[in-house]
Amino acid sequence: MAQVSNATPAAPAVPGSRYSWARTTLARLGGVTLAVIAVGAYFSIRTNGQMLVGSNLLGILRGLSSIAIMGFGLTVVIIAGEIDLSFAAVYGLSTNIVAVLWVTHGWPVYVAILIAFLAAVAVGVFNAFFTAVVKIPSFIATLGSSTLVFGLTLYIGQTQNISYQYPPIGKTVSHGSTSFFHDLGAASLPGGFPEEGIWAIGALLLFSFLLARTLFGFRLKAIGGSRAAAAVVRLPVTRYIFLAFIIGACMACLAGILDLSFVGSASPDDGQADLFPVFAAVIIGGASLAGGKGSAIGTVGGALLLAVLANGFALIASGPFASQILLGTVTVGAVVIDRFTSKRSTA
Amino acid sequence: MSTDVAGVRITGLRKRYGDTVALAGLDLVARPGEILGIAGPNGAGKSTMVKILAGEVRWDEGEILVDGEPWSSDFGSDRVAVVHQETLLFPNLTVGENVVAGWENDGWRWPRAGDEHHALFDELGILRLRNVPLGELGLAVQQRTEMARALVRDARVMLFDEPNSALTPDESREFFRLAHQLADAGRVVMLISHRLQELATHSDRVAVIMDGRCVRVIEGADKTAETIAETLVRGLGTSAAADAEPVVRNGRTIGESTLELVRVTDTRRLFRDLDFSVPKGHVTALIGVEGSGGREILRACAGLRRVHGTVRVNGRAVRQAQLGSYVSYVAADRASSLFSNLSVGENLVIRLDREISRGALGLRTRRMASLAEELRREFHVKSDGIDIGIRSLSGGNQQKVAIAAAVGAKPAVLALEEPTRGVDISSKAEIYEILRRFVADGGAVVLFCTEIPEVYEVADQLHVVYDGRLSQPLAVADFADMEALAKAVASLETHGSVAPAA
Repeated sequence: MAQVSNATPAAPAVPGSRYSWARTTLARLGGVTLAVIAVGAYFSIRTNGQMLVGSNLLGILRGLSSIAIMGFGLTVVIIAGEIDLSFAAVYGLSTNIVAVLWVTHGWPVYVAILIAFLAAVAVGVFNAFFTAVVKIPSFIATLGSSTLVFGLTLYIGQTQNISYQYPPIGKTVSHGSTSFFHDLGAASLPGGFPEEGIWAIGALLLFSFLLARTLFGFRLKAIGGSRAAAAVVRLPVTRYIFLAFIIGACMACLAGILDLSFVGSASPDDGQADLFPVFAAVIIGGASLAGGKGSAIGTVGGALLLAVLANGFALIASGPFASQILLGTVTVGAVVIDRFTSKRSTA
Repeated sequence: MSTDVAGVRITGLRKRYGDTVALAGLDLVARPGEILGIAGPNGAGKSTMVKILAGEVRWDEGEILVDGEPWSSDFGSDRVAVVHQETLLFPNLTVGENVVAGWENDGWRWPRAGDEHHALFDELGILRLRNVPLGELGLAVQQRTEMARALVRDARVMLFDEPNSALTPDESREFFRLAHQLADAGRVVMLISHRLQELATHSDRVAVIMDGRCVRVIEGADKTAETIAETLVRGLGTSAAADAEPVVRNGRTIGESTLELVRVTDTRRLFRDLDFSVPKGHVTALIGVEGSGGREILRACAGLRRVHGTVRVNGRAVRQAQLGSYVSYVAADRASSLFSNLSVGENLVIRLDREISRGALGLRTRRMASLAEELRREFHVKSDGIDIGIRSLSGGNQQKVAIAAAVGAKPAVLALEEPTRGVDISSKAEIYEILRRFVADGGAVVLFCTEIPEVYEVADQLHVVYDGRLSQPLAVADFADMEALAKAVASLETHGSVAPAA
């Protein structure tokens, strides 16, 4: 405007606190941290400190690593305001592609890994195409692609377990490629630190930076916050949805390959059991299914809580029912908290 | 740039939606440095024009020049900024981030949102709020954020669509101060409003749009709320009122009340300590602009808005949750009054749960069909039978279905919101006929309208609503013609009292 007037504009009141965003984030992360401490303390006492033994803690770290790595990808998709149900199937597809091409067909391991990533990108493109171009809800698109990919995985793997440590009769794997692949996710590090934990920490740093410090993160959050407003200011919505789904699928592929390296064999139903825990970790970590909200550190917090719970129940050998019941309770509880915190902020 | 090309020049703009003509050759010129007010009844084509300028809709014929250049969708919000009634912003971003989204200058980094726009934020009074998430802030700040967004992009044209309908008086005043500043800085400011007094006070010229055309541009000494009201009424009078039959009105003696609100206060304070009664055998109209509270009072009558106070039906106090069995309500937009996935027949009988069901589970389908057919005939719904989808009917017939379903439930009171919005003339007349018959049979009707001709044609008495207050009831029969009524309403809306008849 040309001239600056001296009249003081009728000042709108500053709501509650100008740092309320920081407070809600803290409250939320604090909530998860408190839950982790409470649950950890409970199990430590119940198990007479067995939970706090170094090797057990490292086991927890390894357990949460692949959940967190997949969770980062899902967090990106959810911030953009979409849903991805297919990442668990992509995880299984990647382990089976690598195992079949490398172990069964004798292709170089690098090529097998590259093809697994290309397949993941293809699934991401498929999801994004039906979501952003054909414009069907991503829930439906990825539910479909999840089943489709699972079928493809069964076909590729011929519904067999394939181990690279102990190749099937008549197949051989060069020692060099075996040790390369083993060192990807299962190298022995000082103190028995799980290598997958290093990958998870690296991914945490990368995604924290990406989501909180870059233009990509900013626009992703905006697009998830309001599609109508994104159209007004012409944000590249379609491109971002493609990127989000591709990142989601690639992180699932990465987690699959690291786990294959650690576990040693690929099975037809790889990843199927991870769908729910990864979603739970992301939602407990503060991402909103409505879009526009979520963080990498939150997702790690959610994964940590789930890992501590799972480990605790395993230590006291309470049987599978208890951990399932508590997992369900924790997830619903987290979404209820989310509903109240997001309601307050839009009131 | 020479002065005759600067600004917005719309020539011969036409737009049809199927059979409906939304714009029929609109001509409009808005000059830089002025505020151009735009008035017109609902359905006149204002919102179509807004959508075209915002790039949401393509037009069929005509030309739009912005500073001499043909309008192109590439302008987007950068050249022509539309501030809607409901703002289009990101609730999860801060004020500052909202302003720069899509216009970031920080390379690949998260935008810093604001240091370079310090002065602008200060001027709009949102400097202190620039790091607050927008979702926590009120509409006034959101509007200023939209203004800031447009100013950062150096938008030439600012189009405000009912900007202050939900603002407090203080916020409104502040809004107009900013609008004048924008105009003084050489921008084109267009202001669409139903509040005639504000249009008259704040605009340099007022264009009246009706039936998709600009019928008159009012400027100079003529620019008063009364002149605008008369222009609006005269234009409508020629099309709608002339061929309607004279209405047989009930006399001035207002009988007992069917529905009474006694000292009711809205839980959101839009109105307080309000007394209002709807007399038996009469059509009572509430007339007011958006934000006056009229719509909310009507919803309170139907038990759809929570209020404190007493509500009586036929002299007996009734709990709000129970009001629904005495009052049938029909919303203004058909999306909320009809079930788009159901057939014509199902929509007609949807309110008759007791007649069409047997026990808790059984549905009497044959009875449904015969009832629906009865209602269809009684209310002259033009459709090929009752089994076709509701969406295949014309707008007027859909509205007849909505009202027939409400009347068919045999309520004591019909509460209707703008019953003939977007409805063709012949359906309008039929709807008025339905309402007259309903009150002749001893029912009571309460309407909320924004258009004077509607009140003149169908109502027996009216209250003007302003700032959540009701005027004394006016008997429509007291007014010689529609213009006299329009004058009285305009003066009640602006001065709170009826000017002496000229």
